[in-house]
Amino acid sequence: MNSAIRNGLGWSTLALMLTSLFMVFEWVPTEAEQGIVQRIFYFHVPLAWVAFAAFGIVAIAGVFYLWLKDQIWDDLGYAAAESGMVFCTLVLITGSIWAKPIWGIWWTWDSRLTTTFILWLLYGGYLMLRAMADDTPEVARFGAVIGIVAALDVPVVILSVRLWRTIHPAVIVTRAGEHGLEDPRMVVTLLVSLTAFTALFAWILMLRFSQLRVRSRLNGMRREAALIEAAARDY
Amino acid sequence: MGAFAAILRKDLRLEIRSGQSTLALFALSLLIMVVLVFALDPQPSDRAHDAAGALWVALVFAGMLGATRSILAENENGCMRALTLGPIDAAALYGAKLTGGFIFMAIAELAAVILIVLFFNLEIGAALIRLAPPLILGTLGFAALATLLAAISGRTRAGDLLLPVLAVPLFVPALIAGVKASEAALLGLPLAAEGQWLGILIGFDVLFVTLGALLFEHVIRED
Amino acid sequence: MEHFGYLFGAYSIIFAVIFIYVLFIWRRQAELERELRAMEERIKTLKLESTSSAAKPMEK
Repeated sequence: MNSAIRNGLGWSTLALMLTSLFMVFEWVPTEAEQGIVQRIFYFHVPLAWVAFAAFGIVAIAGVFYLWLKDQIWDDLGYAAAESGMVFCTLVLITGSIWAKPIWGIWWTWDSRLTTTFILWLLYGGYLMLRAMADDTPEVARFGAVIGIVAALDVPVVILSVRLWRTIHPAVIVTRAGEHGLEDPRMVVTLLVSLTAFTALFAWILMLRFSQLRVRSRLNGMRREAALIEAAARDY
Repeated sequence: MGAFAAILRKDLRLEIRSGQSTLALFALSLLIMVVLVFALDPQPSDRAHDAAGALWVALVFAGMLGATRSILAENENGCMRALTLGPIDAAALYGAKLTGGFIFMAIAELAAVILIVLFFNLEIGAALIRLAPPLILGTLGFAALATLLAAISGRTRAGDLLLPVLAVPLFVPALIAGVKASEAALLGLPLAAEGQWLGILIGFDVLFVTLGALLFEHVIRED
Repeated sequence: MEHFGYLFGAYSIIFAVIFIYVLFIWRRQAELERELRAMEERIKTLKLESTSSAAKPMEK
């Protein structure tokens, strides 16, 4: 049943991605001010949406883990954090590549980029914890706590960074899409692309999640084997 | 209340008896300021801006080293386990550790404020008093954060590297708000300018003290 | 078609990174399944051994 869903998601993702690519490169009109580079927008925004959504999943999984104490929630959280990190990194990279031709600089501390960068750092912290402490039994609990704390911090980050940049606005003005898309075809393309990335995220999450479940099962079996061995030795 | 006071008293007594802490804290603030002055070579025209920034750098670094001492000390000799086995409420333990960390940071910051007045030629007056609310709120927020995180990082390998990696991104909103509020205070800007940042700091503190109190038990439990 | 390089670069990186991550998951999967089968065998063997030794009389 699980692999049926997984395969279904995989094929849907492929179909949606191909459709999306067609729309981005062939169908949607070019934006007047920025030229073709603006098309990065149609993948950049869904990447950001997925990165933030993944973060929410990490936090919710954390709450369920602390409440129900079932390893399955930790596996979900860890998988979501990894995928989220991948997508968050891509948001920053594509954002930077988009910024260079438009604004002439690789990076700026505007409110959106800054917030995404902080999110990236938060992901990094979570993953660093897992990297350093994954063999300790408490790591799942620690990860859950970090995930929850970080997710609740994000709204405060967004608020403070926005205020920071309103008082001292960046020299650069906002890019297309932030103040409305002129052509309805742009909206449609964005929505399709959003759906494609949601499917992609769901698929990747399922892949990694089921893999972590296997790993947890293995750990359980190792413990079982050790117990049997210890009991046998006592004879 | 009893547990909170008892643990706090114990931690403070330990620090006072060891005797070196206050001096070390002052030295720490001084050294941070020295590095900043030589690294940034602040110009007189931008005094308030630079002083506010330097102050908060000192806060964060003093916090990372100082706010976690009382938590990490419990890792020696299995004291933490002893505390969790007893009837002590985890939230009370958290409160005591947080307060200890806060006091520690406050001492370092007192030194830092004196130093920025000297190094950045600030006037002693109303501006300095207006500096107090953001400093107090920021210190509380950092102590709340660091106490929770140190309980985690203290139990992992290379935990002292992990703590800043976790703490700094989480602290960013308070850092932004604190520096801007401090700058507004030093510039003598109208209270409203400082007020909006203080609002963020208060929200941050409420959030993290509450989270810390709720989640602390999950972090110190051993099983 | 100005700045086409940037557009192409951005999309290439997106697919490259995602592909690499999926590849990473794929490779780990084979490893894990091997370990899982080995572990299942081991537990089976251990269980058999422990029941057979339990049947032996205690040495005195």
